[in-house]
Amino acid sequence: MLIWIGIIVIIVVIVFALIYWGFYNRIIRLENRIDNSWAQIDVQLKRRADLIPNLMETVKGYMKHERETLESVTNARSALLKAQTPQQNIDADNMLSGALKTLFAVAENYPDLKANQNFLNLQDELAHTENKIAYSRQHFNDSVLAFNNTIETFPGNVFAKRMGKKERQMLQIPDADREVPKVSF
Amino acid sequence: MIDIMQKQILVEDHIRKNKQATFLICIFMVLLLFSVIFAIGYVLGFPPIFATAIGLPITLVYIFITYSFSVQSVISAAGARPANPNNRDEKILIYKVEEMAIAAGLPTPKVYVQDSTDINAFATGKKPEGAIICATTGAIQKLNNEELEGVIGHEMSHIKNRDILVMTVTVGVVGAIALLSEIAIRSLFWGGGRGKKGEGNIILLVVLILSIILAPIFSRLTYFAISRKREYLADANGAYLTRNPEGLSKALEKIKADFPDDPKGSKTVAPLYIANPFKRSLRNSVWSTHPPIDERIKRLRAM
Repeated sequence: MLIWIGIIVIIVVIVFALIYWGFYNRIIRLENRIDNSWAQIDVQLKRRADLIPNLMETVKGYMKHERETLESVTNARSALLKAQTPQQNIDADNMLSGALKTLFAVAENYPDLKANQNFLNLQDELAHTENKIAYSRQHFNDSVLAFNNTIETFPGNVFAKRMGKKERQMLQIPDADREVPKVSF
Repeated sequence: MIDIMQKQILVEDHIRKNKQATFLICIFMVLLLFSVIFAIGYVLGFPPIFATAIGLPITLVYIFITYSFSVQSVISAAGARPANPNNRDEKILIYKVEEMAIAAGLPTPKVYVQDSTDINAFATGKKPEGAIICATTGAIQKLNNEELEGVIGHEMSHIKNRDILVMTVTVGVVGAIALLSEIAIRSLFWGGGRGKKGEGNIILLVVLILSIILAPIFSRLTYFAISRKREYLADANGAYLTRNPEGLSKALEKIKADFPDDPKGSKTVAPLYIANPFKRSLRNSVWSTHPPIDERIKRLRAM
């Protein structure tokens, strides 16, 4: 009799250990995914900031009379480089998106510029980077959602509490961006 | 937002089940292949132990070879080549694949192009690392960015759902079983079955012969059923990645309207494509690798 009770206790302990093991790894993995996708956003933002000087160099010769437009792009870029917190980062990036949109709209009036191969390549690549930023934010929010779902539902919440894990915040994406990032090439 | 959250949970749940199913189906396919080899050996007069001793290594070696060379054989059967970043259309295809990989949180697959006026695309590979997405030149030229994005999102979902592995293995096993049973049936008709057995063994023999005949049909049906279900899942998950079901539904409409007069390509690879290159089935049939396009569009629009 005692042997049976002993065996049952051991089995229960092993099952609990396995469940804990599974959830521990899952929570850590999901948390790492959040950090990794944040790093991804950062990479894309930097890449975009790096493209701007090239664009300015190309555009400068053609758009002599559009100082204001050019300046707003440069200002948005330096705000992006100075940004410290995630929210500042996103605000500066939105500013840059707006400034670039204006610049490309104005560029429509310069047929010579529009025929410039270098300009066209930069335009493609900037649109591509903008999409990548939008998608990496979306993936960040997806990762946060998966993490939060795991640590808030039973039995994940029990383990999360023991591990001291707290709910993460999603990025606030402006309404205009929540739509599909439809940046046309 | 709540809507999106619920869908996310549903999709994740599906993916988890899909991955578990992938493992079981692979084992099932290996067993099916083994039993056919065993049955053939037995009918040809080998004792069970011999049939096992020969059948098991043959099965394992075959699966290993199919697995190791799957990517190369799919790519060469499709006649695909790496995308050229200096061509603007192909560059945009590469861009779209990179964007969808970020959205799915996967390593960027290699991008291939198949020269064909049909609108089609497929994904292949063993695991997300080193996977390949291939689109036809027709797809690149005839689809706009939104539609192309929908198609790439669908293919990326096949990679994320681990469909590419199960498709690769089943394509290999289905092909092998078909070939083996054909050889077996022929050799039986031409006076194979040297092992003259007693009366009691006739029933067993009949069962074995039946299994040789039925296995190819059975393996195909299983495969088609899996494949149709996975197409729906990849549609839903792809739409979730782009947050835009409309892109893929418009692309499917174009594919439907653009059915080629002269379908090209390899029959073996056909199930891998986003739409069957040989026929556009309007009705749901147990023989189709893909669900009817209209039904897919309807489900996407309902999202």
